Amino acid sequence: MTTPSRRPPLRHAMAWLALLPMAATVLWVYVGSVAWSLRVSLSSSRTLPIADFVGLRQYERLFDSERWTTSLRNMALFGALFIVGCLVLGLLLAVFIDRRVKGEGLLRTVFLYPYAMSFVATGLVWQWLLNPELGLQSTVRGWGLAGFNFDWIVRQDMVMVAIAIAAVWQASGLVMALLLAGLRGVDDSLWMAARIDGIPPWRVYASIVLPQLGPSFATAFVLLAVGVVKVFDVVVAMTQGGPGLASEVPAKFIIDNLFVRANIGLASAASSVLLLTVLALLAPWLYARGRAARRDARRLAPGQAQARPDMPGAPRRPAAGAGGA
Amino acid sequence: MTQAAITPPPLPAPRPAPARPGRRAAGLTLELLALALLALAGAAPAPALAQANRAEVIHWWTSGGESAAVKELAKAYTAAGGTWVDAAIAGGEQARSTAINRMVGGTPPTAAQFNTSRQFLDLIDSGMLNDVDAVAAHEGWDKLLPASILGAIRVKGHYYAVPVDIHMPAWFWYSKAAFAKAGIAAEPKTVDEFFAALDKLKAVGLVPLAFGGQPWQEKIAFYAWLAHAGGPEMYLRLYRDKDAAMVQGAPFKAFLASFKRLKNYVDAGSPNRNWNDATAMVISGKAGVQIMGDWAKGEFAAAHQSAGKDFGCFPGFGPHSPYLVAGDVFVFPKTADPAQRKSQQLMATVFTEPATQDAFSNSKGTIPISTDVDVQALDPCAQIGVAIMKDAARQLPSPEMLVSPDLEGALQDVVTKFWNTNESVDDAARAIAAALKS
Amino acid sequence: MTAAVDSRGLGRESLAERRSVRRRRAGRAPTPARIGLYAFLLTAAALFLLPLYVMGVTSVKPMEEIRLGNLFALPVRVTLEPWAQAWLSACTGLQCEGLRVGFANSVAIVVPSTALSIALGALNGYALSFWRPRGAQALYAVLLTGAFIPYQVMMFPLVRALAALGVFGSLPGIVLVHTLFGMPVMTLLFRNYYAGVPRELFMAARIDGGGFWRIFVQLMLPLSLPVAVVAVIMQVTGIWNDFVLGLVFAGSDHLPMTVQLNNIINTTTGERLYNVNMAATLLTSLVPLAVYLASGRWFVRGIAAGAVKG
Repeated sequence: MTTPSRRPPLRHAMAWLALLPMAATVLWVYVGSVAWSLRVSLSSSRTLPIADFVGLRQYERLFDSERWTTSLRNMALFGALFIVGCLVLGLLLAVFIDRRVKGEGLLRTVFLYPYAMSFVATGLVWQWLLNPELGLQSTVRGWGLAGFNFDWIVRQDMVMVAIAIAAVWQASGLVMALLLAGLRGVDDSLWMAARIDGIPPWRVYASIVLPQLGPSFATAFVLLAVGVVKVFDVVVAMTQGGPGLASEVPAKFIIDNLFVRANIGLASAASSVLLLTVLALLAPWLYARGRAARRDARRLAPGQAQARPDMPGAPRRPAAGAGGA
Repeated sequence: MTQAAITPPPLPAPRPAPARPGRRAAGLTLELLALALLALAGAAPAPALAQANRAEVIHWWTSGGESAAVKELAKAYTAAGGTWVDAAIAGGEQARSTAINRMVGGTPPTAAQFNTSRQFLDLIDSGMLNDVDAVAAHEGWDKLLPASILGAIRVKGHYYAVPVDIHMPAWFWYSKAAFAKAGIAAEPKTVDEFFAALDKLKAVGLVPLAFGGQPWQEKIAFYAWLAHAGGPEMYLRLYRDKDAAMVQGAPFKAFLASFKRLKNYVDAGSPNRNWNDATAMVISGKAGVQIMGDWAKGEFAAAHQSAGKDFGCFPGFGPHSPYLVAGDVFVFPKTADPAQRKSQQLMATVFTEPATQDAFSNSKGTIPISTDVDVQALDPCAQIGVAIMKDAARQLPSPEMLVSPDLEGALQDVVTKFWNTNESVDDAARAIAAALKS
Repeated sequence: MTAAVDSRGLGRESLAERRSVRRRRAGRAPTPARIGLYAFLLTAAALFLLPLYVMGVTSVKPMEEIRLGNLFALPVRVTLEPWAQAWLSACTGLQCEGLRVGFANSVAIVVPSTALSIALGALNGYALSFWRPRGAQALYAVLLTGAFIPYQVMMFPLVRALAALGVFGSLPGIVLVHTLFGMPVMTLLFRNYYAGVPRELFMAARIDGGGFWRIFVQLMLPLSLPVAVVAVIMQVTGIWNDFVLGLVFAGSDHLPMTVQLNNIINTTTGERLYNVNMAATLLTSLVPLAVYLASGRWFVRGIAAGAVKG
């Protein structure tokens, strides 16, 4: 990824000095913890680490555990719903607010306020809202629509959807803000030119603006993906993993085994498997990004702005056909 | 529109005059950093005051009622010459794991609350706890305390925890108004009478069994029903002996079917419900019965209802029903400080004194650890409990005293799946047997 | 086209352009598209506000009404007692002094943690984006992967490590922990932002003789105000609402307000006063909300990186 330019060694050293905290963090905190965790997963540790060696027994137990396999399935389902839901809703909200509506500041705050609250209490409110006896179902039925059903939270097959709804409520405001900022970074001259040429706004969005939002989408996607892998608070606050095992998630499995069941060997095995899964999904994406960046760096002539794929909302050459020269 | 060649602005000269937002940004950054440094500097720890018998105590009693109970303990300790430094953390698991983290990190509390259980066995094995043998010998614990409690606090011949109360995790609470409406004259004395009462409640349109479908509540209902419908013998063969063969036999499967039969009497909104919300149903008369621990008394009290008038309580079916025993203890982490050791011994002595026990139990709604207490001051349900505790034959230790947290959790997973899905009795029995063997 | 670049480096319409647009819009009736747009936004807003409505209404009802279980019903008897209790007198253990006990501690934790994590994130983003020393990219990839690990997994080794350093259970300890865990996302934010700043700015500064630190402080930091505001919002929210890290690493003298909040809400076997719980949650969320409101203007423009228009 380094550009092929001569660089005085002194400058290079300065950059590395500045990056020392990051390097230390990466090596000591992340790599170190993962290494420790791997070691513990090969032992029979219970409440406290024990320095013995039992091979892959914890991993065998892990994959025999129905709760773990259910957790992985639930995380996949939740991830799909949550990421798509947040991106779509965030995009719609951002695009609509971008159209210069009145009361924009107030609307933005309304969509952002869920992000300010932790799920410990809001999760309880969602549990009440979605409870068939207490919440929306009984209220709407009380209005006369006797056949109205909204008891997803007590159903084994739909409870993850119910949890995803609450999670989208909390996070889509942040996605909206990220995308709105990206939208606001688009050249106003682009809009003027489109108006002059009589292109309807939706086409401008579809063909010109959205492609430029690629980098904002990328940032939002990473943040959302991190939230999916670590999802815990919303599940504990809303359903505690129930009904039955229907809303168990990997992070809850790990934390329960770490602290409640005094089984840090099993918890470490679970977190190692989780990390491996994340790496398996992330590595191709990072590799593809690295290759694309290298390819762009090689392709562009000197003196031109570099069109790197990870630039959010940067000024770019507009797509051919949009506006005059 | 083409991308014109960009002439970047020149780098600011040595005496820079950046644009105003730039200056604001830089200034803001410097102010924040200065504030950060000041805060860090001001965070230098104050010199430790010389406090007699200073004891930092981690526990999870944080609600209003529990706080009043802790005050009794703190009062007694202070009166004996100690200084109580409170470190309350709501949530049992949270409090215990914080205590363990503090021990690992080298700044252990003086005392930490655990359940009367096997939760602290690993800590004993790792040598992280101080024993209280001196206090136990002095106070005569082996004659004073019930056998089930002794079994949990005495490990390898040494005493490692001081018990402060005895809980009963599975009382049957019922609404007098609901029973009257359903025409139930007396408390059920057998399992069949109980089912009949539930049917009567259902017939008049009430929710027969107020239930909170969280895994830990399902676990309590399970072992309570095992003790009453399966019998103490079956209960002990499961939890004490881990008898996988018995689990696959016909009597146990019959019990499983009986347990699942209870599901017909809960309402559709029961999954995920908090236990307090279920108690609220009983308080308002919408539901008939709840199976919950003695801490439910706090909710009744907060709603200004009194035992015998608005609600009733019974611990089982009939005069010889088993009485489940659970409780809270305090353990004492090992420290190098001899002053801490003294505080720990003082605390252990103070906690088990009859006066402290009386005051604490009154406030908390639990029963004291020894049976020679003045029962007049206790509420009616606690009085029943104390009377039963005098009969050692009726006492059954709760599962957490008999199995490790890991196995308890594995069984809980099986139970919650069985309760919430259409899993067959055979499959559930097989799953329990597998959990016992692993 | 010589579009003006304002002092923040962001493109703006000229005053004349804006006036003409407004004049054109003033006399026109709303189109169906416009009506549809407002309908969507207002419906979405109403749905988003539903939980807040339930929380607000529950927080001013007495417990007798809450036990009846009518979520949406307006209170028959409005009482502000739960709010007073939450702040002043709710029991959180032996003490019954409400949330206010931990407020100063939370501030003392949030301010240095935010400042430090953002400073380091900016530095990392700058070094990664412009200087790109060899191997730093790989390090960054590992850092980003680390963001996916639930931090409870790292609890034990971190406890031991901080204890070895002598900062376990202290204010510098918790600030260090928050900085460490905030590093991946902060670096991601700043790196992506600086990637949008044209390299010509940087090259020109190099040509003019600027060194690593000089360019950072005098050129890049002033440009970073928008993304810094975004970073402040994310960090303030995350650190203010954090509970577990503060509980374990801050030491008993510096426990943040979230510990009291947890003690009020999450009592296992005690009676639960839902009105006090809701009031306590709303009170706790006032600080991040205030930060959002104060920085709302910048937030929106924050992540846009367009520094120069062509």
